[in-house]
This record gives sequence, structure tokens and C-alpha cells, in this order.
Amino acid sequence: MATPRPIRSMDPYAEQFWAYTQKKEFRLQKCCDCGKFRWPPGPTCDKCLSDEFEWAAMGGQGKVLSWTTFRRGYFPEYPAPHTVIVLELDEGPLFVAYPVDMEVADLREGMTLSLRWTDGQDKYGEYNLPVFGPVSS
Amino acid sequence: MAVSFDRERLGPLKDTVAVVGVGETDYGADYRGAGGKAMAKGEVRYDSYTLASRALKRALDDAGLKKDEIDGLCTGPTLSSERACELWGMNPRWSGSGDAAQCIIEAAMAINCGLCTTVALVYGNAQRSMDTAYGGSRVTGGGITSYFYYAPWGLTSQGALYALLFQRHKLLYGTTDEQLGAIAVAFRKHACMNPNAVMQKPITIEDYMKAPYVAEPLRLFDYCLINDGGVAIILRRADMAKDCRQTPVMVSGFGWSEENVDATQLRPRLKDFYHTAHREVAAQVYPMAGVGPKDIDVFATYDSFSVHLLASLEGFGFCKEGEGGPFVQNGRIEIGGELPCNTSGGMLSESYMQSWNHQPELVRQLRGGLGQRQVQGAEVAQYVHDVAGKCKSIIYTKGG
Ligand SMILES: [Zn+2]
Repeated sequence: MATPRPIRSMDPYAEQFWAYTQKKEFRLQKCCDCGKFRWPPGPTCDKCLSDEFEWAAMGGQGKVLSWTTFRRGYFPEYPAPHTVIVLELDEGPLFVAYPVDMEVADLREGMTLSLRWTDGQDKYGEYNLPVFGPVSS
Repeated sequence: MAVSFDRERLGPLKDTVAVVGVGETDYGADYRGAGGKAMAKGEVRYDSYTLASRALKRALDDAGLKKDEIDGLCTGPTLSSERACELWGMNPRWSGSGDAAQCIIEAAMAINCGLCTTVALVYGNAQRSMDTAYGGSRVTGGGITSYFYYAPWGLTSQGALYALLFQRHKLLYGTTDEQLGAIAVAFRKHACMNPNAVMQKPITIEDYMKAPYVAEPLRLFDYCLINDGGVAIILRRADMAKDCRQTPVMVSGFGWSEENVDATQLRPRLKDFYHTAHREVAAQVYPMAGVGPKDIDVFATYDSFSVHLLASLEGFGFCKEGEGGPFVQNGRIEIGGELPCNTSGGMLSESYMQSWNHQPELVRQLRGGLGQRQVQGAEVAQYVHDVAGKCKSIIYTKGG
């Protein structure tokens, strides 16, 4: 059984994002007309209003911008302390995740982390959650 | 799309609308309750309409106006305009809704367009009675742009989003926890001079540092209160303001700019600290009022979290970007200092009225006579509303 996690926000575009995660594919929408990436998923390019897009595979690397550690429990699935990070993906979008395979004390501004997968499930079904850890040498 | 000051159209609106009445509920007394013990969350004493009604009555009495002289109504987000009008027996010629600054700007426009002359702006929130959740598994929506989107990764609460902002500020500029702590300590000092404030016990920087983290690097005292309360403000066409009981306070400038592109990604928050919106609002509100940051005698910012103040002081040009930390130290933002900020105690220590309680405080500072809390010689006051990139500002001046 996959790890229960707080519920995802679901809509027709989020559904497609999460469906790719079942195959461990990390894809974000990219506008076919102007090339802008968007996250969270949605119907329209915010730069040019085109509704033509592709699910572009991300390289899976990003630089750490900031982080916070919950010292108070908010979700039963994430007892405190729980640390969340924000990365700037190499392709441009910012992405929220949490760090794995490393100590929080070792987080640094601008450090490069790379994609890992961990399992998850909620009422919408099973999926894989993109998380980030040290770049393997 | 940059905002610039439209001298021809906005210039003439300066001082055309006045605040003639303000009213608030008894934040501290309501919080402590009859037995003097803080009420528990979910211990129902009020609903939002009870609190809003009480504030409205007080604001009308303050202005010396009867309710039938109100011909426009703005309500805060917890109230239905239709129910409020029914409850108060009002058939307004115009109505609006939003946060306090948005309602002031909308009402000023409606009055200037001749849609109405006298607008009541009313807010009430029984958030402690209702045990309102601002994070965690009891939050079940809020749309894509909410922190709710990141629940699968365990990110939740506005507090955590502002913790990310402060952490970024620390990483870029070396801002320290002690510097941030000066804000909570100053606002608490102000609350202790305000008999209506919920919090009445001073805190030191040592108390601040010893308090537990909630979402690190933010600690307990960086967070606003959760309390019940109501606020009402009466705006009137300036030429009719002299009929009222109090010396009018003029709405001398306003500005509005939003930064929503890639907001759910947290880009404007973490890459810009919302400074683009701050600069655009500053480019409108200051020339409209004919003043600059150096002329501001009393300042208030939206302070659901202490770190709002760092961002807005930098963005509006009170100090350089990244220098907010040293700026707020050594009493500069305290009453008696160079730029007294959130003099009521703000939302950290007076009352969490989601921007509404700042307006009566600035009005009272300009009317004068607040005793030890009075900012001496206060003539120009500024409110900055900086909530997740929805930025507005109002400049008030002392009327004749
Ligand atoms: Zn496009």
C-alpha cells in the first residue's frame, strides 16, 4: 500500500500531471506558441493565452531558493519537524517539494538538487510524489 | 503595464473624501471574557454579524451620524452585503466589498462619481468563536492559488509561506532573527499602551528568541493573533464632513498594484519580495498625496506576520532593499522613534482584523489625544496593504 498523503488539488490538468508521475515522469506544461513553462497546470498560457501545450519532460534538477521547517504538526501524515524546500528548476519554474537523503542542516542557498520519487496515495488514487535530494556523483 | 500617477484624473481626488467616524469592538475584553481568562478556540460567544453591528453603531456615534444618512455600504469578506443591509435596515445606493484598503479606494471612487455621499465600511470576524483554521488538514480548499495546493508535500499555512520569504531574506541579506524580533517586541510595546489591545504583557527580545518556532525561521511572536472583533469606518464627501462630530481625516492618496504572475509558484514572493508591486503603488500614492516616505509620521502595514514590515519598508523606499533588518532595530519603529509603525500593536498584538483595525488607529493618531500612545505632531499617516502580492496603500492627512 502506498504512503497516505494530504489530499491533492485535482482538476483536468492536474490529473494529467499526476498521471505521468505513475510512470515516474516529471513533466510540466510548455506553451507550443511561446515556449513558457507553467506550474501549476492549467488551460492557458499566462504569457500569450494560447491553449496549445505539450507535457515537456523536465531535466529534474533545480537550485534551492528557500526552505522552512514545520515545528508544529499540521498534518497527521507529516509530523513535526518536517522541512519543505522551494527550488528553481533549470527550465525556469519554481517548484515546492521536500528534501530527501540529506540533512536539513546541509541545505544551502543555490545548491543543486535532483529529482527522486516517493510513493503516495489519496482519495484520487495512487501516484508518485516528486521530491529532491543530493545530486548523485 | 507599470503604474504611474495620472495627475490629471487622480490629482483632483486628493482630499475629496474624509474619514468622519471609526468604531471597533472591545478586542481585549472580548478575548479575555467575563472571567478574565482567554477564551478557548471554538468557544462560541459571537458571530461575525454581532461584532460588525457593534462596530457600526460605534462608528456612527463617533461621527454623530444616523444610520439613515448612510447611502453606501462596503462589507468585509466574512459578511454578506445582502444580509448586512437587511440586518441594519439599509437600502444603499451603492455597495462594494473587499479588504479595508480596497473598500476605501472603491468608496472614494463611488463618492466622487456621485453614486453616494456617505459610505459605511464594515467588517466583523468571529474567527476565534468559529475556530477558523489557517492551515493543516481542516483547510479543504481555497483554490489553486492557495497553500492548499502544496498539501501533498506537507506545505501548508500562510505562516509557512512567509517563513519561506523570511528565510530567503536571511539567505540573501544576512538578516538575523534578532532583527526580525525587534518588530514583534515593538508592536507588543505599543499594544501595552493600548487598553483595547488583546495582548497587554510586554515581551523582550529574549522572550522572543526563547519562544518556540512555528514554521522556522518564524517563531510564535511573529504570528498574528486569532481573536474575535469588528471594525467600522465612515467615509463622507469632504465638503459634508464638517457636519460631523469629529475633526475629519482626509484620504489624501491611494494606490493599487498586484503581482499575480506565477504567484502559486511563489515567484513574486521569493524572487522579488513583492517589491515590483510596492514600487508601483508608491509611484501613485506618494505623488497623489504630495508627500514622500520622509514625510510619513505614522506608518502601518498589514502584519499577519512580522516579516511583512521588512518587505514593505524596503519596497516603499524607507530603506534600501535588504536593509530592513538593521532599519527596524534600536527603537526606530517604536512610538518616539523616527517611524512609529503599527502603533495600536497591530495584528500581532492588538487584534487580527485582517487590515481593518489599522485604519481606526491611523485616524485616531491624526485626530490626536491618545495619551502615551500618541505620536507627537502626527499629520501624515500611511497604511500599506501587502498581502501575497495584492498591494494597496492609503495616505491619510489631518483635516482642517
Ligand atoms: Zn505562450
